[in-house]
Amino acid sequence: MIEIKNVSKSYVKGKKSIDDINLEIKNGEIFGFLGPNGAGKTTTIRMITGILNIDEGDILIDGKSITKEPLEAKKNFGFVPDSPDMFLKLKGIEYLMFMADVYDVPQDKRKQKIEELTKKFEIYNELNNQIQSYSHGMRQKIVICGALLSEPKNWILDEPMTGLDPKSSYDLKEMMREHAKSGKTVFFSTHILEVAEKLCDRVGIINNGKLVFVGTFDEMKQKFKENASLEDLFLEITEK
Amino acid sequence: MDKVIKLTKIFLKNSFSNMNARMGISTKSKAKFFVYALLILYFAGIIIFLGYNLLDGLIQIHQETIFVGMILFLIFGLAVLQTIFSSINILYFTKDNEYLLPLPLKPYQIILARTNVMLIVEYVIIFLLGLVPLVMYGILTGAGVIYYITMLFAVILLPILPVLLISIIVMIIMSFARLTKNRNRFQLIASLLVLAIILIFSTSMSGVKQNVSNEEMAQMLVQANGMIDIVKGYIPTVDYLIEALTTNSLFTIIIEVLKTLAITIIGFVLYMLIAQKIYFKGLVGNLFGGGAKSANKQINQNQYKNSKLYKSYIGKEFKSMIRTPVFLMQCLLPAVLIPIVMIVVAFAGINSEENGFQELSQMLSSMQINSFIVVCVILGIIQFFTMFIYVSITAVSRDGENAVFMKYIPVSLYKQYIYKIVPNILMNIITIVVTLAIAQYIVHLPIITLILLFVVSTIIAILQSLLMLIVDLKRPKLSWDSEYAVVKQNFNLIFPIIFSMINIAIIVGAVYLLNDINVYLGILILGIIFTMFTVITNKYLKNKQYDLANKIM
Repeated sequence: MIEIKNVSKSYVKGKKSIDDINLEIKNGEIFGFLGPNGAGKTTTIRMITGILNIDEGDILIDGKSITKEPLEAKKNFGFVPDSPDMFLKLKGIEYLMFMADVYDVPQDKRKQKIEELTKKFEIYNELNNQIQSYSHGMRQKIVICGALLSEPKNWILDEPMTGLDPKSSYDLKEMMREHAKSGKTVFFSTHILEVAEKLCDRVGIINNGKLVFVGTFDEMKQKFKENASLEDLFLEITEK
Repeated sequence: MDKVIKLTKIFLKNSFSNMNARMGISTKSKAKFFVYALLILYFAGIIIFLGYNLLDGLIQIHQETIFVGMILFLIFGLAVLQTIFSSINILYFTKDNEYLLPLPLKPYQIILARTNVMLIVEYVIIFLLGLVPLVMYGILTGAGVIYYITMLFAVILLPILPVLLISIIVMIIMSFARLTKNRNRFQLIASLLVLAIILIFSTSMSGVKQNVSNEEMAQMLVQANGMIDIVKGYIPTVDYLIEALTTNSLFTIIIEVLKTLAITIIGFVLYMLIAQKIYFKGLVGNLFGGGAKSANKQINQNQYKNSKLYKSYIGKEFKSMIRTPVFLMQCLLPAVLIPIVMIVVAFAGINSEENGFQELSQMLSSMQINSFIVVCVILGIIQFFTMFIYVSITAVSRDGENAVFMKYIPVSLYKQYIYKIVPNILMNIITIVVTLAIAQYIVHLPIITLILLFVVSTIIAILQSLLMLIVDLKRPKLSWDSEYAVVKQNFNLIFPIIFSMINIAIIVGAVYLLNDINVYLGILILGIIFTMFTVITNKYLKNKQYDLANKIM
């Protein structure tokens, strides 16, 4: 479970980039975080994961505060950042083993988990190559594998579908569904409205640092125009 | 031409922009300007101090013109060395090459803009190291306006030829890039190859003049301004400019400057012709060469073995450095290369009959070896050598935008900081051990003194590693377009030098204050002083671990 309580953040004095956000992502839920470019999606995700300091409020991951008990909180989530260009000089297997060491994945589980994830994403045969030689989509896949290796209860994914081929995108969505079904949490940001509509139990729309809508798609339709397309709804909410 | 200027501006902005600019925060601050101005003044001061003593000595024996020759040589040599590292990176390994190729730009426009960037980077350093002493020469010799105008021509013209020459060598080597599958290895081999070519070239050049006999040398010294001939005859443009700067005839000045200009223009035309033919071959080969592909698709059982986090983390740091040629050459190799160069120099000294080494040995044998002053000299030398190890000062910057990784994994930042400085400490230890081994070969210290020296040097190495990491955390360069920018276009690299200078000052101070002290007591006092600094710095790093990471985002 992820709880965001009265969180605010300013980069420049007097101008809030994130303005008093309150949000609760329950166990067993897939939550989509939507918003136009520069609305505050990545800033919010960076605060949830401890990359950015929180000016006001607090964020709890399974009851652990990211500000007061950062290490405990960080053990409770796996994070996929928006750019997969990381550890390019390491081989795929070296990166995954490093992540396994960081997250204390037991010896007996490593092999099984690495094989399962990398075979699913069809990058097993590339593991002995440096990540630098991977395509954008393959880099995205290896980063996802690294984040999911320790079987974290909460998945936090920043634009996870970017660069994935249709099959991998489908597989990831299936994995997200399975994860939520087993009573765990998925929080992800996306620009692809169709993905959000089909996959998410609830969505949150952020605009100019303010959370302008939280709820299901049905609730969104009820609140705004009954028969409008998702795209129209999104534009209406964010351009108000 | 307009496009070339625009491209140059964009390349420069891209190379030197820092994170603040990316975040939309103004980088112009008076404090920053003040610090830079102070540092430039500090270095100008050192150059003036060193240069003045030398020039003053030369004026007394009426050999001041050799000073001009030395400075022009220094400019040429610096331009050569700088270009070896910068050209391969600026021409081939910047990230924007991929975006540049599809744009409707003519090859010569890209080449010219890239060459401009290389030259501008050269000029920043050369203006400081070349212009300051040349102005000093002008003042001390009471030179007129014409000297200063000629000097400006010299400083502007001289670095162009070496930049063009080295770039051509680099382009020729890189045109084979498309034949290689392993880009990283090729980049390293290419850099080392260029370095080797230049070294072989320069040693063979210096060999030409080393055969000057003592009588000839004496004869040269007797002649008015005869010493100038020692530095002449290697590089035509240097010769012309020495002549232009040391003559009183306006006609000679004009002729010599025109000769330099003509050679530079010919060099430039040739460069453009060759570059147009081969630059893009190498560039495309490099872009699409990709990384190393292993034929082995099966994962070995051993590769699944877990290891302790510290081993894994430090291993990751080393792998990233070893597999990135620029980092390998700038962070790891100096620790090994500098002592090796020392060994070569030391052995060359032993084998040669007439040089300072024997005098040094004789001088050392006449004084008490196991004394505080000898120990301090060795400590000072170690400080000098370790200031070229850039592991810690780039520890965070090397990760680039990926450095945020440190902040979201469940490992305390302090622990990660320590893992990040371990390679710096290890590299320092290599330098310390080799330096001590050579020192031992020359002065034969008691084993206990050697051990104490090792311990104190290691404590200073830990202090250096901690402090440099703090500097990098406070002023990280996370947004870069090529790895080269981290180790070359990074002002932070001045800090290891400042640190070593301060240490040398402390050690010199200790020699003055504790002159006749027992050697062991002396080392102990130094050890205690540096341990205290180390403990305080470590405490600061631990207490401020989260605040220090604020710039990583």
